[in-house]
Amino acid sequence: VHAGSPLGNAFQLTIEPDRAEVARANAAFTAFAEANAVPDAIRRSLNVALDELLQNTIAHGFAGRPAGGGGGGAVTIAVELLPDRLTVTLTDDGQPFNPLATAAPDTARPVEERPVGGLGVHLVRQLMDEVQYHRRGGRNVVVLVKRLTKV
Amino acid sequence: MEIATRTHNDVTLVALVGSLDSNTSPQTQQALDGILSSGARKLVVDMTALDYISSAGLRVFLATVKRLGGTGAGGGALRLFGLNETVREVFDISGFSTILAVFATEADALKGFLTPP
Repeated sequence: VHAGSPLGNAFQLTIEPDRAEVARANAAFTAFAEANAVPDAIRRSLNVALDELLQNTIAHGFAGRPAGGGGGGAVTIAVELLPDRLTVTLTDDGQPFNPLATAAPDTARPVEERPVGGLGVHLVRQLMDEVQYHRRGGRNVVVLVKRLTKV
Repeated sequence: MEIATRTHNDVTLVALVGSLDSNTSPQTQQALDGILSSGARKLVVDMTALDYISSAGLRVFLATVKRLGGTGAGGGALRLFGLNETVREVFDISGFSTILAVFATEADALKGFLTPP
Protein backbone atom coordinates (compact mmCIF):
# COMPACT_ATOMS: atom_id res chain seq x y z
CA VAL A 1 0.00 0.00 0.00
CA HIS A 2 1.48 3.29 -1.09
CA ALA A 3 0.30 6.42 0.66
CA GLY A 4 -1.94 8.47 -1.56
CA SER A 5 -1.91 5.92 -4.34
CA PRO A 6 -5.33 4.42 -5.04
CA LEU A 7 -4.08 0.99 -6.06
CA GLY A 8 -5.29 -2.42 -4.97
CA ASN A 9 -7.92 -3.02 -2.33
CA ALA A 10 -6.60 -0.59 0.23
CA PHE A 11 -5.18 2.87 0.21
CA GLN A 12 -4.06 5.52 2.58
CA LEU A 13 -3.82 9.28 2.30
CA THR A 14 -2.55 11.83 4.79
CA ILE A 15 -3.75 15.40 4.63
CA GLU A 16 -2.99 18.56 6.54
CA PRO A 17 -5.77 19.68 8.89
CA ASP A 18 -6.90 22.36 6.47
CA ARG A 19 -10.39 22.79 5.03
CA ALA A 20 -9.09 22.93 1.47
CA GLU A 21 -7.66 19.42 1.89
CA VAL A 22 -11.08 17.82 2.43
CA ALA A 23 -11.97 18.02 -1.26
CA ARG A 24 -8.65 16.36 -2.15
CA ALA A 25 -9.37 13.49 0.27
CA ASN A 26 -12.83 13.01 -1.21
CA ALA A 27 -11.50 13.06 -4.78
CA ALA A 28 -8.87 10.43 -3.88
CA PHE A 29 -11.51 8.26 -2.19
CA THR A 30 -13.80 8.54 -5.23
CA ALA A 31 -10.94 7.49 -7.54
CA PHE A 32 -10.23 4.45 -5.36
CA ALA A 33 -13.93 3.49 -5.16
CA GLU A 34 -14.43 3.81 -8.92
CA ALA A 35 -11.24 1.85 -9.70
CA ASN A 36 -12.50 -0.95 -7.45
CA ALA A 37 -16.11 -0.96 -8.72
CA VAL A 38 -17.61 0.08 -5.38
CA PRO A 39 -21.34 0.75 -6.01
CA ASP A 40 -22.09 4.47 -6.42
CA ALA A 41 -24.58 4.54 -3.54
CA ILE A 42 -21.95 3.16 -1.13
CA ARG A 43 -19.23 5.48 -2.46
CA ARG A 44 -21.51 8.54 -2.17
CA SER A 45 -22.46 7.71 1.44
CA LEU A 46 -18.77 7.66 2.31
CA ASN A 47 -18.20 10.94 0.41
CA VAL A 48 -20.82 12.55 2.66
CA ALA A 49 -19.33 10.99 5.81
CA LEU A 50 -15.81 12.14 4.88
CA ASP A 51 -16.98 15.70 4.26
CA GLU A 52 -18.81 15.82 7.60
CA LEU A 53 -16.15 14.19 9.75
CA LEU A 54 -13.07 15.79 8.23
CA GLN A 55 -14.64 19.25 8.51
CA ASN A 56 -15.58 18.52 12.13
CA THR A 57 -12.12 17.30 13.00
CA ILE A 58 -10.44 20.30 11.40
CA ALA A 59 -12.83 22.74 13.10
CA HIS A 60 -12.73 21.18 16.59
CA GLY A 61 -9.68 18.94 16.92
CA PHE A 62 -7.32 21.50 15.42
CA ALA A 63 -8.99 24.73 16.57
CA GLY A 64 -6.52 27.54 17.13
CA ARG A 65 -3.98 26.33 14.58
CA PRO A 66 -3.16 28.77 11.79
CA ALA A 67 -5.54 28.70 8.84
CA GLY A 68 -4.19 27.35 5.58
CA GLY A 69 -2.20 24.56 7.22
CA GLY A 70 1.40 24.89 8.22
CA GLY A 71 0.47 24.59 11.90
CA GLY A 72 1.47 20.98 12.13
CA GLY A 73 -0.82 18.04 12.58
CA ALA A 74 -2.06 15.42 10.21
CA VAL A 75 -5.21 13.49 9.40
CA THR A 76 -4.84 10.05 7.87
CA ILE A 77 -7.60 8.40 5.84
CA ALA A 78 -7.11 4.63 5.54
CA VAL A 79 -9.50 2.71 3.30
CA GLU A 80 -9.83 -1.06 3.23
CA LEU A 81 -12.10 -2.87 0.81
CA LEU A 82 -13.05 -6.44 1.75
CA PRO A 83 -15.56 -8.66 -0.07
CA ASP A 84 -18.31 -7.90 2.45
CA ARG A 85 -17.41 -4.44 3.74
CA LEU A 86 -15.72 -1.13 3.11
CA THR A 87 -13.94 0.30 6.14
CA VAL A 88 -12.61 3.84 6.38
CA THR A 89 -10.48 4.77 9.38
CA LEU A 90 -9.75 8.43 10.13
CA THR A 91 -6.85 9.09 12.50
CA ASP A 92 -5.68 12.51 13.65
CA ASP A 93 -3.29 13.91 16.23
CA GLY A 94 -5.49 16.86 17.21
CA GLN A 95 -7.14 17.61 20.57
CA PRO A 96 -9.30 14.82 21.97
CA PHE A 97 -12.57 15.19 20.05
CA ASN A 98 -15.36 12.65 19.89
CA PRO A 99 -17.68 13.63 17.02
CA LEU A 100 -20.23 11.06 18.18
CA ALA A 101 -20.74 12.97 21.43
CA THR A 102 -22.62 15.66 19.47
CA ALA A 103 -26.31 15.63 20.35
CA ALA A 104 -28.66 14.32 17.66
CA PRO A 105 -30.96 16.98 16.19
CA ASP A 106 -34.60 17.04 17.25
CA THR A 107 -36.11 15.93 13.96
CA ALA A 108 -39.62 16.57 15.31
CA ARG A 109 -38.99 20.33 15.18
CA PRO A 110 -39.40 22.24 11.92
CA VAL A 111 -36.10 22.28 10.04
CA GLU A 112 -36.04 26.09 10.01
CA GLU A 113 -36.02 26.15 13.83
CA ARG A 114 -33.36 23.52 14.38
CA PRO A 115 -29.77 24.39 15.18
CA VAL A 116 -27.55 23.32 12.29
CA GLY A 117 -24.91 21.73 14.53
CA GLY A 118 -25.28 18.01 14.93
CA LEU A 119 -26.95 17.43 11.58
CA GLY A 120 -23.75 16.26 9.91
CA VAL A 121 -23.02 13.64 12.55
CA HIS A 122 -26.66 12.53 12.45
CA LEU A 123 -26.28 11.95 8.70
CA VAL A 124 -23.08 9.94 9.25
CA ARG A 125 -24.72 7.71 11.89
CA GLN A 126 -27.69 7.02 9.63
CA LEU A 127 -25.73 6.49 6.41
CA MET A 128 -23.10 4.15 7.89
CA ASP A 129 -23.64 0.62 9.21
CA GLU A 130 -21.12 1.15 12.02
CA VAL A 131 -19.40 4.23 13.44
CA GLN A 132 -16.89 3.98 16.28
CA TYR A 133 -14.70 6.48 18.08
CA HIS A 134 -11.59 5.67 20.10
CA ARG A 135 -8.94 7.86 21.72
CA ARG A 136 -5.85 5.74 21.25
CA GLY A 137 -2.15 6.55 21.65
CA GLY A 138 -2.81 10.30 21.76
CA ARG A 139 -4.87 10.16 18.58
CA ASN A 140 -8.51 10.40 17.64
CA VAL A 141 -9.60 7.33 15.67
CA VAL A 142 -12.96 7.17 13.90
CA VAL A 143 -13.89 3.94 12.14
CA LEU A 144 -16.66 3.89 9.52
CA VAL A 145 -18.05 0.65 8.15
CA LYS A 146 -20.37 0.20 5.21
CA ARG A 147 -21.45 -3.36 4.47
CA LEU A 148 -21.46 -4.54 0.88
CA THR A 149 -24.15 -6.90 -0.28
CA LYS A 150 -23.12 -9.43 -2.87
CA VAL A 151 -24.87 -9.12 -6.20
CA MET B 1 -19.21 22.27 -9.04
CA GLU B 2 -20.65 23.67 -12.24
CA ILE B 3 -23.80 25.75 -12.06
CA ALA B 4 -25.79 26.28 -15.26
CA THR B 5 -28.72 28.67 -15.29
CA ARG B 6 -31.52 29.22 -17.81
CA THR B 7 -34.96 30.76 -17.66
CA HIS B 8 -38.31 29.40 -18.74
CA ASN B 9 -40.97 32.15 -18.60
CA ASP B 10 -40.92 33.31 -14.97
CA VAL B 11 -39.01 30.27 -13.68
CA THR B 12 -35.22 30.15 -13.31
CA LEU B 13 -33.78 26.67 -13.76
CA VAL B 14 -30.48 25.99 -12.04
CA ALA B 15 -28.57 22.79 -12.83
CA LEU B 16 -25.99 21.65 -10.26
CA VAL B 17 -23.22 19.46 -11.68
CA GLY B 18 -20.81 17.88 -9.19
CA SER B 19 -21.10 17.57 -5.43
CA LEU B 20 -22.56 20.03 -2.93
CA ASP B 21 -20.35 19.83 0.13
CA SER B 22 -18.30 22.04 2.43
CA ASN B 23 -15.96 22.85 -0.43
CA THR B 24 -18.56 23.86 -3.02
CA SER B 25 -21.37 25.25 -0.86
CA PRO B 26 -20.00 28.84 -0.59
CA GLN B 27 -19.79 29.12 -4.39
CA THR B 28 -23.27 27.61 -4.78
CA GLN B 29 -24.75 29.90 -2.14
CA GLN B 30 -23.23 32.90 -3.92
CA ALA B 31 -24.70 31.80 -7.26
CA LEU B 32 -28.19 31.29 -5.80
CA ASP B 33 -28.00 34.60 -3.90
CA GLY B 34 -27.08 36.31 -7.16
CA ILE B 35 -30.09 34.79 -8.92
CA LEU B 36 -32.44 35.95 -6.13
CA SER B 37 -30.85 39.42 -6.10
CA SER B 38 -31.63 39.75 -9.79
CA GLY B 39 -35.33 39.40 -8.93
CA ALA B 40 -36.04 35.72 -9.56
CA ARG B 41 -38.79 34.41 -7.28
CA LYS B 42 -39.39 30.94 -8.72
CA LEU B 43 -36.44 28.57 -8.71
CA VAL B 44 -36.28 25.01 -9.99
CA VAL B 45 -33.05 23.18 -9.17
CA ASP B 46 -32.03 20.32 -11.45
CA MET B 47 -30.27 17.74 -9.25
CA THR B 48 -29.87 15.01 -11.88
CA ALA B 49 -26.10 15.60 -12.13
CA LEU B 50 -25.60 16.23 -8.40
CA ASP B 51 -23.43 13.39 -7.11
CA TYR B 52 -23.87 13.86 -3.36
CA ILE B 53 -24.85 16.47 -0.78
CA SER B 54 -23.62 16.95 2.79
CA SER B 55 -25.02 19.11 5.61
CA ALA B 56 -23.13 22.13 4.25
CA GLY B 57 -25.14 21.73 1.03
CA LEU B 58 -28.43 21.33 2.88
CA ARG B 59 -27.76 24.68 4.56
CA VAL B 60 -27.58 26.33 1.13
CA PHE B 61 -31.12 25.16 0.33
CA LEU B 62 -32.36 26.17 3.77
CA ALA B 63 -30.95 29.70 3.39
CA THR B 64 -32.44 29.96 -0.11
CA VAL B 65 -35.91 28.82 0.92
CA LYS B 66 -35.85 31.26 3.87
CA ARG B 67 -34.87 34.08 1.55
CA LEU B 68 -37.73 33.19 -0.78
CA GLY B 69 -40.21 33.58 2.06
CA GLY B 70 -40.25 30.23 3.81
CA THR B 71 -42.15 27.07 3.10
CA GLY B 72 -45.65 28.28 3.96
CA ALA B 73 -48.50 29.13 1.61
CA GLY B 74 -46.85 32.36 0.42
CA GLY B 75 -43.48 30.68 -0.12
CA GLY B 76 -42.58 27.36 -1.64
CA ALA B 77 -40.98 29.05 -4.60
CA LEU B 78 -38.07 26.59 -4.60
CA ARG B 79 -38.58 23.26 -6.32
CA LEU B 80 -36.08 20.46 -6.81
CA PHE B 81 -36.05 17.45 -9.09
CA GLY B 82 -33.89 14.52 -10.13
CA LEU B 83 -32.41 13.45 -6.78
CA ASN B 84 -30.29 10.31 -6.88
CA GLU B 85 -30.68 7.59 -4.24
CA THR B 86 -28.03 9.01 -1.89
CA VAL B 87 -29.20 12.62 -2.15
CA ARG B 88 -32.75 11.41 -1.50
CA GLU B 89 -31.54 9.46 1.55
CA VAL B 90 -29.80 12.55 2.94
CA PHE B 91 -32.98 14.59 2.40
CA ASP B 92 -35.08 11.93 4.15
CA ILE B 93 -32.71 11.52 7.13
CA SER B 94 -32.43 15.28 7.68
CA GLY B 95 -36.14 15.97 7.33
CA PHE B 96 -35.57 18.21 4.29
CA SER B 97 -37.91 16.05 2.19
CA THR B 98 -40.81 17.37 4.22
CA ILE B 99 -39.97 21.06 3.90
CA LEU B 100 -38.72 21.28 0.33
CA ALA B 101 -40.82 20.57 -2.72
CA VAL B 102 -39.16 17.57 -4.37
CA PHE B 103 -40.25 16.27 -7.78
CA ALA B 104 -39.20 13.35 -9.97
CA THR B 105 -38.75 15.16 -13.28
CA GLU B 106 -38.38 18.66 -14.70
CA ALA B 107 -41.89 18.44 -16.22
CA ASP B 108 -43.35 17.54 -12.81
CA ALA B 109 -41.49 20.42 -11.15
CA LEU B 110 -42.71 22.95 -13.72
CA LYS B 111 -46.33 21.78 -13.67
CA GLY B 112 -48.52 24.40 -12.05
CA PHE B 113 -45.44 26.53 -11.29
CA LEU B 114 -44.76 28.17 -14.60
CA THR B 115 -46.83 31.22 -15.48
CA PRO B 116 -47.82 30.99 -19.19
CA PRO B 117 -46.40 33.85 -21.30
